Amino acid sequence: MDSSISSASDHESHSPPPKHFSHAEPSENGGTITDQLEPGEVQVIIEPGSDAAAGRRTGLELGPEAPSSPSSSGYVGERGSSGSDTSGSPIIPIAREIEEEMSNEVDDITLHGFSDSQTTWIPGKRHVDEDDASISWRKRKKHFFVLSHSGKPIYSRYGDKYKLAGFSATLHAVISFVESRGDSVKWLRAGKHQVVFLVKGPIYLVCISCTEEPYESLRGQLELIYGQILVILTKSVNRCFEKNPKFDMTPLLGGTDIVFSSLIHSFGWNPATFLHAYTCLPLAYATRQAAGAILQDIAYSGVLFAILMCRHKVISLVGAQKASLHPDDILLLANFVMSSESFRTSESFSPVCLPRYSPSAFLYAYIHYFDADTYLMLLTSSSDAFYHLKECRVRIEMVLLRSNVLSEVQRSLLDGGMHVGDLPPIAQSGLSQLGMHRHPSDSPERFLEPNSAIDSPSGLWHFIYFSIFLDQYVSSEFPSFIKTHQQQKRLYRAYQKLYASMHDNGIGHHKTQFRRDENYVLLCWVTQDFELYAAFDPLADKASAIKTCNRVVQWIKDVENEIFLLGASPFSW
Amino acid sequence: MPSRRRTLLKVIILGDSGVGKTSLMNQYVNKKFSNQYKATIGADFLTKEVQFEDRLFTLQIWDTAGQERFQSLGVAFYRGADCCVLVYDVNSMKSFDNLNNWREEFLIQASPSDPENFPFVVIGNKVDIDGGNSRVVSEKKARAWCASKGNIPYFETSAKEGINVEEAFQCIAKNALKSGEEEELYLPDTIDVGTSSQQRATGCEC
Repeated sequence: MDSSISSASDHESHSPPPKHFSHAEPSENGGTITDQLEPGEVQVIIEPGSDAAAGRRTGLELGPEAPSSPSSSGYVGERGSSGSDTSGSPIIPIAREIEEEMSNEVDDITLHGFSDSQTTWIPGKRHVDEDDASISWRKRKKHFFVLSHSGKPIYSRYGDKYKLAGFSATLHAVISFVESRGDSVKWLRAGKHQVVFLVKGPIYLVCISCTEEPYESLRGQLELIYGQILVILTKSVNRCFEKNPKFDMTPLLGGTDIVFSSLIHSFGWNPATFLHAYTCLPLAYATRQAAGAILQDIAYSGVLFAILMCRHKVISLVGAQKASLHPDDILLLANFVMSSESFRTSESFSPVCLPRYSPSAFLYAYIHYFDADTYLMLLTSSSDAFYHLKECRVRIEMVLLRSNVLSEVQRSLLDGGMHVGDLPPIAQSGLSQLGMHRHPSDSPERFLEPNSAIDSPSGLWHFIYFSIFLDQYVSSEFPSFIKTHQQQKRLYRAYQKLYASMHDNGIGHHKTQFRRDENYVLLCWVTQDFELYAAFDPLADKASAIKTCNRVVQWIKDVENEIFLLGASPFSW
Repeated sequence: MPSRRRTLLKVIILGDSGVGKTSLMNQYVNKKFSNQYKATIGADFLTKEVQFEDRLFTLQIWDTAGQERFQSLGVAFYRGADCCVLVYDVNSMKSFDNLNNWREEFLIQASPSDPENFPFVVIGNKVDIDGGNSRVVSEKKARAWCASKGNIPYFETSAKEGINVEEAFQCIAKNALKSGEEEELYLPDTIDVGTSSQQRATGCEC
């Protein structure tokens, strides 16, 4: 392996605990691209107890049986976490403040025990009876609103958007007030709440959050919500507002509440929402090739994009010559398809817009589910291509069945992805670790490891590897002790914070960051080729964490044939 | 079933400061009245659900500040209004004379597609004061002005006593609803692959 080691002085800083990541190391010395990370080049940030809220949260970890259902009458039943049972455990007064901290986004409450949270989240809009006078509404940690430039409500995550019309007008007033001074408001802070604004022509989007997520993350989430609106309506909706300022777009969005609530839910479990990359279902190279070949075949016959997916993971995708698909478009399209129940019941043909590809115009998507998880999307610009695409699908289906792709997909789904417990023991440059591992590299069974006793001997709990070149990421399976949606969301938010700090242009480009708090040790490593985000036991020491990261990178290289879609289609970015 | 659909109507209340815009709104929405005068800062917003001819709809009422210093917000606030309510105090000639300015200012700023037929409603408030003895604007005069502006519906109210408020807002809702009926087919473009994919190949907006 062509690794070179860059040397930089060790900037460990133990105190005072920095609130932000400003001590991370700029990469001016990054003339050398390292494939090997050395302890000396890792910036350390330790936060002993600086995040009081996190500390308290740790102290009051709620199990799956904790009560959850919200009520506007008081604290009992206001706590979040998982479970749907309201039979309350006694709540002592001292816990009340914590309780408030805990009163999380209550729509996420029914989750526990699965690494793919999506499977257990019950979609749909919650708490429609609430309005801005409800205590429960005011306590929700993260609100999203969409309104028109005349202040008319278009969407609200919680509560009845009509009852919230007055609130919507107030948000409009804030935006207009700043605009009337020739400026625009990005965000403002009110106590522990951050209010983030995004103005997209006649459509205003607002997030009110006390989750302490960085501004960039929340703004990115608003961008995705706007993108989801475009998927359904295209940018042509602007013309309606131009022609008629009174225009009410809610009827055009009729029945799509679930698409938005599902997207918002994914902000808490899907790293694609902040990495702007997609992920693949792990499959043997030959299996993915077989799927790719038939999709490529179809693409020659006037199909713009052919995408085969399993839940939110790509099996294979192909674009017609010179057409490229942005990962955000994959995310939004998959969310649109998966959250709309009607696509599951029969083959469908629907107008959709890919905002990153062409925001002003519709494409037509032929959508067909092969089984409960696996679905095909064929995109074309021709509105009368249904029967042609149906024939294409029949051909694809035959090939997929013949080459056992669909059964391999189901098997991969059962086996899961990469388990940190399977991390090969030692990594040395240029030496493949596969020989030491228990399974040969081309066998998907490698992913089928029972990780019963100890999940992670290396202290590594979880990682996300993002290949910049491929626009793809791979995220390891969660260990058994990070099983609730709340725990997973907390980790994703920590990654998200890390991501934002590493991509903050204001403080220069960083290469590495080592961060310790009550919950984890987090290590981030950014090179020109990849970004690695890893979470360790909070007691993990730096040197061994770094060693482990090197092993992970080597491991990824060893299995990249199976976890990534490689060179299958003419991506042009 | 478009007729069963819930509709939101934006109603703007305009008039000189102190004529009782906020009181009218509070009387209508909350059935409350306070003798204490509190100037509105910028704007207040209230929501009221209304049933009308078997349809449920929501009035989003924008109670704007009468003071001139807030008028810079006009364009943004008036945008997309479904009905505009002009309020004056029957005991103040100046507030009545200013109705014309308010109306014109609204039409300029909101620039509705059909200004001739934009639904206004005029309310003469505070008819209760002094048993009507301090009144300086006669009903006849007010109605004449309304007639000259395209037969604007006219109501005389007392926000304090709750007289005629419900009726006035019923009419406001009805007129707002009338103005929002037109509907068009939503037909965005379809991609022309020949040009757009080439365009995509060179640059990407991401």
